[in-house]
Amino acid sequence: METRKDTLTGIKPIIYTIVFEIKKQKRKFYFFIVITILIAFLLGYILQLIPSNLLADSQLDYFSNSLQLISYLTLFSACLFFSGIICSEFNKKTGFIVFPKINKYKLIIGKYLGNLILVITIITIYYCLLALLGFYYYGGPINPLIFYSYGVAILYIIALSSFVTFFSSFMRSVNLTIILTLIILFMGFSIADQIVVLVFKDNFEPLYSLAYLGTLITGILNDPFPDPRYIELTFGGQGGPFGGSVEFTFGQWLTPAIGMGITLLILYLIGFFILAAILFKRRQL
Amino acid sequence: MSEVVLKLENLTKKFGNFTAVKGINLEVRRGETIGLVGPNGAGKTTTIKMIAKILRPNSGRILIRTNHTELEDLQHVPSTITQIGFLIDIPAFYNMTAYQLLRYFANLTNYPRDKIDIRINELLKLFKLTEWKHEKVKNFSKGMTQKLGIIQALIHDPEIIILDEPQTGLDPLARVEIRRHIRELQSQGKTVFVASHMLYEISEVCDKIALINYGSIIGFDTVDNLALILKTSELNCVLLKPLKPSELEPLLNRLTERLNVYLDQNLDPMISKIPIKYYPEQQGLKIYYDGKNESKGEILKILIKEFESDFTVISYAQPKTSQLERVYAEMVKNNISNKGDV
Repeated sequence: METRKDTLTGIKPIIYTIVFEIKKQKRKFYFFIVITILIAFLLGYILQLIPSNLLADSQLDYFSNSLQLISYLTLFSACLFFSGIICSEFNKKTGFIVFPKINKYKLIIGKYLGNLILVITIITIYYCLLALLGFYYYGGPINPLIFYSYGVAILYIIALSSFVTFFSSFMRSVNLTIILTLIILFMGFSIADQIVVLVFKDNFEPLYSLAYLGTLITGILNDPFPDPRYIELTFGGQGGPFGGSVEFTFGQWLTPAIGMGITLLILYLIGFFILAAILFKRRQL
Repeated sequence: MSEVVLKLENLTKKFGNFTAVKGINLEVRRGETIGLVGPNGAGKTTTIKMIAKILRPNSGRILIRTNHTELEDLQHVPSTITQIGFLIDIPAFYNMTAYQLLRYFANLTNYPRDKIDIRINELLKLFKLTEWKHEKVKNFSKGMTQKLGIIQALIHDPEIIILDEPQTGLDPLARVEIRRHIRELQSQGKTVFVASHMLYEISEVCDKIALINYGSIIGFDTVDNLALILKTSELNCVLLKPLKPSELEPLLNRLTERLNVYLDQNLDPMISKIPIKYYPEQQGLKIYYDGKNESKGEILKILIKEFESDFTVISYAQPKTSQLERVYAEMVKNNISNKGDV
């Protein structure tokens, strides 16, 4: 038989898969780039043109305001790029063609890295545009905290992607994975956080919640960093429908501590990757 | 005798309580074309999936002759098997162009980079898909997708080609083409392993047939050798001119009388009620004899010499498909009755 180098040794198959995956996701990527540029310009430039909407006092506040939608962007991109990473091979049966040609873990690693490159590029473009606009409005130098925020955003997107990959490892269809992960990430965590804060107040920080950990992206831009990180907001007024004064107190965790947030994001990504790998190993075509 | 390139030893696969493959033993030699025949659910695809390392066997092992000279246990071969090209099930592709897909697959299987484009063009031309090279596969018809499935199995020029139901979903013309391609692979000295439930497709191209039923191999040999288990064999003779209807009955009586010693004495009425039949449309005689080669020779000698004044035999054939169908039916019957005995 013809002598050929075993494809498992070396990382070539992973690199080929990364390149192929990037080509495969090209249209989705372009769509997100357009959306990203629109959001960045809407929040960072168009809104500032409205006379009633005053420009933030400092460059950091400007970044913080303009990054409000970053978590939505990361959530959507993570769900749409990573949801099909494993389950599509089983659901669409493309695995029959590719599994005999490449070690299946290498295939998934390649697909994962290909998508990660695209998603990180999207986030990077967003931050670059914000940095440019920040420079345009406030002059240089760019506050270094934006780089920390960028770092956290990258870590957050990796944690999100591992979370979605985990779901992809056992779900049957890509669409179901997208819907389920979007529901959990958008609503599930938020509802759980509200309940936890309502019940436990400042006794229990919702560190389990990816949505809460995501607040570190803008939280890290605070200078000084918030202390205490738990606040209570009281709303009240005179003369409600039943007369007398009515007061409502809402508790809120502003952001996780930097060290804790980063550690948990790392744990999240490791934990979900391990779970995804175990389920993927057990799954049969 | 050529060397064994693929060997299945007591291969077993269970899904819960259901045993899909039961202790299969099979040897595939270099250059052979082997057919794995069985009804749907017999265990063909499961067997192929185990060879492709998509499924892990519960017990038994698969040995493959890799680049090293010895047969190696597939579990110890550290990677995907680049010596084998697989077409498993109905092929499903990522929605990319045929060229992008084939280039990716060729890269994965370590085909020399400078030759990939030549190889892609060559195969697309062979399968008449050149014009579709830069079209996305979602625009492909079922037949074209199936062809692309075969191309991807061949893209890295493997020594062994394993095709699972390659004719599924194809029109008759495309099936003929696929058979032609398989024969071409045979002529190149490739080892081909075809799984199918279509006996005709298999009998036309394969040197040896492995009959599989309920996860067990119930027979593995050439069609002719497998046919030895049959008590009845069929011989079809084509005549130069049609027989006159008025002369037919006395002629058939004479024939039956003269060939009687060679005919099947216990002909299964399910096959035929009479041992010699005339088919006016085909202008031919169908003779059910006792299956011995000597008998076949004698029958032909008598037909040609002694009935020269009645008709002229211009050709004769033993239809492999119907023979294989009967072999298969017989073996399945034996298999079931053996189980019953146990």
